[in-house]
Amino acid sequence: MWLRSVFLKALRDYRIPILGWGIGMGLVVVSPMASVATLLSTPQAREQLVGLAATFAWNADVVAVDTIGGYATFKIGMFIFLIAVWPLLAASRMLRGEEDRGALDLLLSVPRSRLVVALEKLAAMWTALLAMGLLIGLLTFAGGQKFGGGFSLGDGLLFGLNLALVCAVIGGVALLISQFTQEAGPAAGWTAGLLLFFIVLDMVHRVIPNSEWISRFSPIYYYNRSKPLVPSYGTNAGAMLLLLVLALVLSGAAIWLFARRDVGGTVPLPCWLRRPAHTASRALPAGDWSLRSVYARSLGMIAMPAIWWTVGIAGFAGWMIFAVQQMEARLSTLFASSPTVMNLIKNIGGGDASLNAGFLSAMFVLLPLFLMAFAVTQVNGWSADEQDGRLELLLATPQRRLGVLLARFAALGSATVFIGVITLFASAVAAAASGLTLDLGNLAAATLGMIPLGVLIAAVGYLAAGWLRTAADTGLLSFLLLVWFFVSFIGPELKWPDATLRLSPFYYYGTPLLHGLPLVPLLGVLAVSALALSLGALRFVRKDIGV
Amino acid sequence: MTAIIEVEKLAKSYGGKRGIAEVSFQVEEGDVFGFLGPNGAGKTTTIRLLMALLRADAGTARIAGLDCWKQSLEIKRLIGYMPGEPALDPNLTGGQILEYFAHLRGGVDDAYLKHLVERFELDTSRKFRQYSTGNKRKVVLIQAFMHRPRLLILDEPTSGLDPLNQQEFDRMVLEARNEGRTIFLSSHVLSEVEKTCTTVGIIRDGRLVRIGDVAEVKAIKRYEMTITFATAIPVETFKSLDGVIEVEALHNGHGVHLAMQGSADAVVKAAARYPVISLTSYEPSLEDIFLRYYEGDGPRSAEADHVA
Repeated sequence: MWLRSVFLKALRDYRIPILGWGIGMGLVVVSPMASVATLLSTPQAREQLVGLAATFAWNADVVAVDTIGGYATFKIGMFIFLIAVWPLLAASRMLRGEEDRGALDLLLSVPRSRLVVALEKLAAMWTALLAMGLLIGLLTFAGGQKFGGGFSLGDGLLFGLNLALVCAVIGGVALLISQFTQEAGPAAGWTAGLLLFFIVLDMVHRVIPNSEWISRFSPIYYYNRSKPLVPSYGTNAGAMLLLLVLALVLSGAAIWLFARRDVGGTVPLPCWLRRPAHTASRALPAGDWSLRSVYARSLGMIAMPAIWWTVGIAGFAGWMIFAVQQMEARLSTLFASSPTVMNLIKNIGGGDASLNAGFLSAMFVLLPLFLMAFAVTQVNGWSADEQDGRLELLLATPQRRLGVLLARFAALGSATVFIGVITLFASAVAAAASGLTLDLGNLAAATLGMIPLGVLIAAVGYLAAGWLRTAADTGLLSFLLLVWFFVSFIGPELKWPDATLRLSPFYYYGTPLLHGLPLVPLLGVLAVSALALSLGALRFVRKDIGV
Repeated sequence: MTAIIEVEKLAKSYGGKRGIAEVSFQVEEGDVFGFLGPNGAGKTTTIRLLMALLRADAGTARIAGLDCWKQSLEIKRLIGYMPGEPALDPNLTGGQILEYFAHLRGGVDDAYLKHLVERFELDTSRKFRQYSTGNKRKVVLIQAFMHRPRLLILDEPTSGLDPLNQQEFDRMVLEARNEGRTIFLSSHVLSEVEKTCTTVGIIRDGRLVRIGDVAEVKAIKRYEMTITFATAIPVETFKSLDGVIEVEALHNGHGVHLAMQGSADAVVKAAARYPVISLTSYEPSLEDIFLRYYEGDGPRSAEADHVA
């Protein structure tokens, strides 16, 4: 049934994203409802929450944030970028990705016009977005019912529809840009850049008085005109209609261009925008450091993602240090009214949550989680290289299998050390700039102490890659990461026995910002990593490659 | 001459699936050995076993007297390898790939590398992902030759190359042979092996069915011919001619389809007696040849027939 048409086949390809992204984003909407429900117990707490939200007013509209629906809308407004990631990637790959792989040549050889094929694919993506919107709407309604949100099923569904519409606009932008690029990646990159620009454009009117006309150029502005979860604010039908028209125009223009250009080619740009014509060359590169050994090449491959993850992780650490002082007073009032959140922060941070050190310690526990997520993405690359046959020629050179594996692992290890060191540096600079007094030894322990955890998940990933294919390996590591996180952060609240808590590596990371480096436990983590890597290496040197 | 490749009762299966079974052969140093077989016959499995990318279930494989699995590092110093489906980092340019592999081999003669790049007219500034299939194969072919290896192991090397580059490849094989180097290449195209190889091994369903010099392969080479006439002709005329194996009448006697082996001289002369509209001759696929030649020929296909 699912292979009867281009539309159904494309929809079939989207079935996992529909469920994963729909439910995942639905939970992202529901989770602030759960957290804020316990914070709204007293008028003082409500007042502090409004005040706290006001400090982020530049980022999202502060409308009825002391209600469940208002707070959820506010939080999603802050993270709209996250919601738009899927349509951005899906639309940039929709036609261009298939052209990259050569799959579109075959599809367009069947007696079906190019226009119809493109329209069917677009319809599948929009159907997927609507299905995601429906799931988000239903989960939002369920969350509202559970935590006393005070909005109807219709409001929840309108909220989902509004998200689907803004996603369709972003998808339309990506689809249009992909008509001008040779590959899907640059189209996704340009769209992400434009999305950031739109978000900033929308922020302008919140920061600069009488500048609303500027924000009107951003589709995000029209998304924010509707707040169905705030019954007193309601839905702006005109704004939603405008988003629909925008999505139609952008996607329509993209498909119009697609129907007229060469398959595998791009829409010709005006000459002043074109890159200089490619001139063939027979020259060989000389002095490129990244081509000198397997380790150097591995570093070269990992460099760019490592830099972006460093910016994210070090930026998060620095920002938390800056923000914690400004939020201190409000946080203590909020936590005082919510023993649950207080206990959670205390369990995670290992200290008094009403103090900024305790809160900061709790936030710093997220650093190893981020570093481990980075390691998972890189293990995925190792596993994919074998699966896609990219190790075959490498292993046909006089390089030992063990050497190749260790070189790749060492590059990943080097990247984790780099991220740790830069995070330490950024945190120290942020502390000095904000006037926050932090024990430098403890700060070093908190930032450098995450390295063994990154190394551990990488070693486990290399071990599993000996048997599992890429998707299964990445899935297993992601699952492990979630379980460990849950065991460490929810386990203490559920009074789980110490033996269970010890199963998570976060247990051994401890709360170094408050209590210093747990040297012996972290050496234990390194020993387990070494064991996993040794077993992984043993498997790799004996296994059939690419089977 | 001494054997540079010695394979003895080599076997490999993938779980329950067949790979190869009891494959034995030798390749003499300086020889150009064609490893012939239809798709899925076990050519790539044999090659990947030689390259220590797979571990054999049974049997032994030795190159230059060294065990392919236990001494693979030493062996790889002697080998230039081209896989059947080249996969490389898509974000590196052709030039960067060649430079990288040159480093991994401990350095190569830059002048010779540049000569190869010129010879194949490779644009080294493009990213691997941007290359056409033929250009991707050129990159991999150059990396196989660039360190002047003692033994070249090439898995379907000309697949995807245009005729001009195929000719260039043929010349390179000849040059390598003249320099005393050994070439082991797999193919599923009879005429290609016929052109470049001195010795041929034929593998089918994971078993080596024949080894011999290239003249032996020519003996099994069959081809087909279709002749269309302006008028109906007596088909029986062709049945008893030299080289004709099978005859089939077409278009109510206005045409004839012939299965041939050997010279076509008698057929062409016989056809010339009638008004010919068209004459088409083509080589059947290797699978077709094998089906006809080996089917029902149990004893010959069960064990390799060494005739060299």
